[in-house]
Amino acid sequence: MTANLSRLLNALGLVAIDTVLVLAFADQLWFRDLPCPLCILQRVGFIAAGFGIALNLMFGPRPSHYGLAILGAVAGGVVSARQILLNIAHNSAYGNAVFGLHLYTWALLLFALIVVGSAIMLQFEQQFAATDVLPSRLKVLPVLAVALLATLALGNVISTLAICGAGLCPDNPAGYMIFNDNLSLTLLGKTP
Amino acid sequence: MMSLPFLLFACGLAAAWTRQRGAAMGFWVAGVLVLLALFRFHATDVLNLGL
Repeated sequence: MTANLSRLLNALGLVAIDTVLVLAFADQLWFRDLPCPLCILQRVGFIAAGFGIALNLMFGPRPSHYGLAILGAVAGGVVSARQILLNIAHNSAYGNAVFGLHLYTWALLLFALIVVGSAIMLQFEQQFAATDVLPSRLKVLPVLAVALLATLALGNVISTLAICGAGLCPDNPAGYMIFNDNLSLTLLGKTP
Repeated sequence: MMSLPFLLFACGLAAAWTRQRGAAMGFWVAGVLVLLALFRFHATDVLNLGL
């Protein structure tokens, strides 16, 4: 596998992660399905995994970058597994189901896919050789994918502040805490 | 508090954008540590699972 093909596959992988985060926002804003604390931490896991792939795109593919993607996916997967087991133990569910599975179950499957995909990519050592001059089509997509990941990270800063204020999130968020009357207290992490 | 890991990863991506790989990886480590600490705060119930 050449460095250029690796770069294209990494860009497509990051676009897939960006899409997951965009769909999570769509579910939150369109269907008013507010994310629970564990759901928010799974978003963090996707960004942590995407971060490793983004480094591949910006500095060239390296085993350490794939390592970051795998570790980020494992951290997110642990959170997903915890939420699945929690709902099994309580015989309950949180949020909307998509094609019969809840979002945290889809998240666990996607985290596993990121681990497997990164492990497969690590088998192609030729990509780690010195990079050739990149064709322009291989510059646009990676830059857009990384820029979108950064935008989604900042969007989640705002969204999480709006839902939880500056403290820990409630287990079952009922609304945007930032719209409370005592806005200053909320931002200080104190529930009015 | 819960928005902190997102902020750290955004700072890390900004560092990567300015070609500071070491700083970017430092922000990644900080972000994951905060993620794990927040998970610890939210995973307090013992799960009654008969595995």
